[in-house]
Amino acid sequence: MATLKEKRTCGQRCEDFGRFVWNPDHGTFMGRTPVKWVCISLYYVAFYVVMTALFALALWTLMYTLDPYAPDYQDRLLSPGVMVWPDVYNEENLELFYNMSEKSSLDRMAQCLRDFLIPYNDTLQESCHRMHQCKPGHYNLQTSFDAPGHTKWSCPFNQSVLEQCSGLEDPTFGYNGTKPCVIIKMNRIISFLPNNGTGMAPYVNCTALEGHENVDWIEYFPSNGTFDLSYFPYYGKQAQPSYVNPLVAVKIHLIGQRSAKIQCRVVAHNIGYENFYEPYEGKVIFQIKATS
Amino acid sequence: MSKQDSYDMFVEMDNKGGDVKIKKKIKKKERMENMKKEMDIDDHEIPIEELEMKYTTSVTKGLTTTFATQVLERDGPNELKPPKGTPEYVKFARQLAGGLQCLMWVAAVICFIAFGIELGKGEPSCYDDLYLAVVLITVVVVTGCFGYYQEFKSTNIIASFKNLVPQQAVVIRDGQKNEITASQLVVGDLVEIKGGDRVPADIRIITAQGCKVDNSSLTGESEPQSKTPECTHESPLETRNIAFFSTTCLEGVATGVIINTGDRTIIGRIASLASGVGNEKTPIAIEIEHFVDIIAGLAIFFGFTFFVVAMFIGYAFLEAMIFFMAIVVAYVPEGLLATVTVCLSLTAKRLARKNCVVKNLEAVETLGSTSVICSDKTGTLTQNRMTVAHLWFDNKIHAADTTEDQSGQSFDQSSETWRALARVAGLCNRATFRPNQETIPIPRRLVMGDASETALLKFTELTVGNVMDYRARFKKVCEVPFNSTNKFQLSMHELDDPLDLRYLLVMKGAPERILERCSTILIKGQELPLDEQWKEAFQTAYEDLGSLGERVLGFCHLYLNEKEFPRGYSFDPDDMNFPTSGLCFAGLISMIDPPRATVPDAVMKCRTAGIRVIMVTGDHPITARAIAANVGIITEGSETVEDIAARMRIPVEQVNKRDARACVINGGQLKDMSSEQLDECLRSHPEMVFARTSPQQKLIIVESCQRLGSIVAVTGDGVNDSPALKKADIGIAMGISGSDAAKNAADMILLDDNFASIVTGVEQGRLIFDNLKKSIAYTLTKNIPELTPYLIYITCSVPLPLGCITILFIELATDIFPSVSLAYEKAESDIMHLKPRNPRRDRLVNESLAAYSYFQIGAIQSFAGFTDYFAAMAQEGWFPLMCIGLRGQWEDVHLQDLQDGYGQEWTFNQRLYQQYTCYTVFFVSIEICQISDVLIRKTRRLSVFQQGFLRNKVLVSAIVFQLLLGNLLCYCPGMPNIFNFMPIRVQWWFVPVPYGILIFVYDEIRKLGIRRHPGSWWDQELYY
Repeated sequence: MATLKEKRTCGQRCEDFGRFVWNPDHGTFMGRTPVKWVCISLYYVAFYVVMTALFALALWTLMYTLDPYAPDYQDRLLSPGVMVWPDVYNEENLELFYNMSEKSSLDRMAQCLRDFLIPYNDTLQESCHRMHQCKPGHYNLQTSFDAPGHTKWSCPFNQSVLEQCSGLEDPTFGYNGTKPCVIIKMNRIISFLPNNGTGMAPYVNCTALEGHENVDWIEYFPSNGTFDLSYFPYYGKQAQPSYVNPLVAVKIHLIGQRSAKIQCRVVAHNIGYENFYEPYEGKVIFQIKATS
Repeated sequence: MSKQDSYDMFVEMDNKGGDVKIKKKIKKKERMENMKKEMDIDDHEIPIEELEMKYTTSVTKGLTTTFATQVLERDGPNELKPPKGTPEYVKFARQLAGGLQCLMWVAAVICFIAFGIELGKGEPSCYDDLYLAVVLITVVVVTGCFGYYQEFKSTNIIASFKNLVPQQAVVIRDGQKNEITASQLVVGDLVEIKGGDRVPADIRIITAQGCKVDNSSLTGESEPQSKTPECTHESPLETRNIAFFSTTCLEGVATGVIINTGDRTIIGRIASLASGVGNEKTPIAIEIEHFVDIIAGLAIFFGFTFFVVAMFIGYAFLEAMIFFMAIVVAYVPEGLLATVTVCLSLTAKRLARKNCVVKNLEAVETLGSTSVICSDKTGTLTQNRMTVAHLWFDNKIHAADTTEDQSGQSFDQSSETWRALARVAGLCNRATFRPNQETIPIPRRLVMGDASETALLKFTELTVGNVMDYRARFKKVCEVPFNSTNKFQLSMHELDDPLDLRYLLVMKGAPERILERCSTILIKGQELPLDEQWKEAFQTAYEDLGSLGERVLGFCHLYLNEKEFPRGYSFDPDDMNFPTSGLCFAGLISMIDPPRATVPDAVMKCRTAGIRVIMVTGDHPITARAIAANVGIITEGSETVEDIAARMRIPVEQVNKRDARACVINGGQLKDMSSEQLDECLRSHPEMVFARTSPQQKLIIVESCQRLGSIVAVTGDGVNDSPALKKADIGIAMGISGSDAAKNAADMILLDDNFASIVTGVEQGRLIFDNLKKSIAYTLTKNIPELTPYLIYITCSVPLPLGCITILFIELATDIFPSVSLAYEKAESDIMHLKPRNPRRDRLVNESLAAYSYFQIGAIQSFAGFTDYFAAMAQEGWFPLMCIGLRGQWEDVHLQDLQDGYGQEWTFNQRLYQQYTCYTVFFVSIEICQISDVLIRKTRRLSVFQQGFLRNKVLVSAIVFQLLLGNLLCYCPGMPNIFNFMPIRVQWWFVPVPYGILIFVYDEIRKLGIRRHPGSWWDQELYY
């Protein structure tokens, strides 16, 4: 034991290490002869080749069992998330602050919405969905793949439906004044039927949580703020490649200090909104403020 | 060799011992030098008048009380200062500073740094690092407390053995006799001691009557030494007129002047010598350090590799640095410290149940790696109790039963001669039992009288029956006590037959003196004339018994003629007006301090376990050798150099030393040996006995064994053993007979004084080494599946598969119990038939263990985890190929509509819960694979089926516990937001099962290969 315990100098340690790296007596390099190194390397190569093959096989089997149209489980997507555009964040919170008179500020907001609405361009939408007759007020239930390319039909959503907030008439979306537009979108979830197929359409309801004295009134486009039933259910990317989410635009008429904390909620009885841990479930809260 | 030599050397060894230390510490040297100087006392040589002057005392009246008080103030109380106990906070701090603990401290510091960097960068989710640091520190502190508590408990057990009754001493002050506590005695005090007392300090004898002291605690001699007022030797240790502190006065009375008190006494100096010997690192501590080296090396290697990779991929330097830190920290096996501590304390508990108390947890394993046991003789191997061993009568040597519990074979007691001999032994004996001991077994009863008379009394009590009653029937009329000129003792008795009016003279003494006085010999009850032939027979028997190291006494008797010596004859013990020659020789009885019954067997077991037992004693070489042969330290047929010389009739010098297996070396020879010679001697003779050794020499012997690469255990009970006990890798003291000094110096204490407990200790130590290896292998394995998710996360930018808190749950909750349960695993083979492990080669954690655990089993576990991870992701909508490179968007807090593979849109929190689901399935995969892992770790060589699949009940319950805990974590409400566990779908529990089976099958194949082809490439590379 004594030899193991005695304190070795650094030089001795280095020498020992050098001997470990290359030991001329036994012809070993890092504790093994070159032949043994080759052997053990080959063993490990073989081991990892086999393991990787097994892993690949497992993944292939997994992919093979998956349905291309719908996921096996939607455990996390019981209720759709809701989001507002323009999506301007300050740290954790949505803060739609803009300066009415400053061009760069209002342009930033308007540009965000313009970009967001590109897929909703009327001509683009029409070209995509020419063949299908959508019946507003009815679920777009399809059992077979009738659309071209073995897909299902999806209903178009035209930018013009948003009227004053479509950006067609007012390219600043009201950000040059005290009546800014925001657009509410509900996340799509495969086979999700709002109100469980009772035939009632979900609608957007915005309220001021703080500063309601600063909010004169709130306008919705389409006028009643509903997401039409014909956009539900969603059949997935594979089945409905040209599907677009329905939108609701909200025009907020600000007065007084022109600042408010607004909650926009999508109302349907199977859309939750009171989950403490999920702030975007069924609702979105944002601060809006117009300065001059 | 003469006593003079041995004690001179005692003094000189001090000097030598001092020399060794000079290089290290000058302070220590000075102390040693002082010690040597103090040895040169002349108090025994100077005339009494001078002594009186020197200590301002009087040998008739003692000190004056006032002066005594002054001296007491000057010198302090007369007691051994307890060795400077380590302060409690130092003990606790030591618990926090082991190899593994240091690793964890470093990791915690790294965590803090990483936390600081991330906080500085303003990342919101950086608190994981802080938690990790806090957990690491908590683990160290909690296990530290646990270990401290364990040691505290065993210290208490040991402390409870200390003698709490203060010793009393009779002192004469101002001419008045007083009884005071011994601690109040001062130099110059006149004290009185009598049979049964402990000598209260080092004293110069002034008057003595038949005073004998037992020096066994100081020198290891079992034979009492007589003390007289004459100075017989210039060496203070040799002269008869000094009695030493803590030795016991067996009989007689004496008065003396105290010349040394407290720590300045001889015994005090030996005790302080022990505290000067440094503590050795335990083998397991060395192993753990070696293991930490491996871990740290791997961690830095991995961390650096991925640092480079991260830089190459294009991460910022600071980010890459954080990755580096995270990888290094991830390599720290958080749970291992707890596992090792718990495993060791489990074994300590198991040992405590078998009466071995371990002071230091790590010492539990040390016995297992022990390759040499240096054992003291008196009190450890022997009973420290003179006992009748042999008898010679009817021209035959009979063996008596020397076992402690009288379970041995007795001899034929039908002969008339035996009856006569027993009568002489019973009657010619002044020893008596102390009253009120009827319930105690005879061998353990307390006796008043010297050692050999005690032995004879107990022997006759056992063989004949009630001796006291017997003596009463043979009324004693006259008695001549033993003295050194006559060398015999005789007494005259009336016979128990009232009609027989003869007197019986019984005599015992040195055999040759007794024989001189005899003219007849009793053979088979017949009185035969003692001719040359009988004399020769006697001589042979006497020599035979003497060579066994036994003390021999002769016995004879004579019926006096009733006409010459009628009833009422007045016998005069001084004039001896009765015949003292022409007696009838009855026989010889020899006595020895016999070995404990369990010792020969234990020595044998040690030998089969490849452990060398060396006897190191202060006793005489002949006795030492006889006991060594008796207990098997010198095996039958082994010869010493001297034996060979005698057999071949050649001078000792011509004998090839290599031919002699055994070797008896006494202190005098040892003194003249260089350390190289001693090493050579230890190397060439497997069976060694050291006799007449001083405490310093014991130390030298231990050092020499350690130089030869052995791990040395030392057993002992006396103060003289304490330095060696301290120096040894593991010192083992006797709990009942052991002195406090020995117990303080020892690492382990045998509460029942049973040497055989050491064998149990060895077995448990070896078992724990094997099982710790298994536990560590088990614990290390999961490091890889905990690390790879992070590596893949960095390199492939997938959503994080396994979180920090989840890892901590694996390390510190679910996997602790299974890894501890491996400590309950039975040995794979008969570990007591293997050689002790070679500390250079058989490491606790070797390269193949690390490689096999990390790169094979760990790799399979990682694959299992990723399979389950990808399954959980894919089934929720995130295809494997999509996951790669997804990290940026996935972790974007502001992105609330990220599309999955099916076009569904996810908010950030939905993704986060999905990530927690991934943590949970990865956790479950590791758990399932670890169940398989714990099963394969049950054995290293045997098939699990050979070992018994379900035999380790603790392990089975640990697996059940692990599963239950896993389920609780997954399905307990509230878990997602507290500990990031999600209630996962049942089928994801089964995804890793095929991998678990693969691990099991693969390991069975590995073990099969190892069993079938020992020594092959497969065995070399894959056996750990």
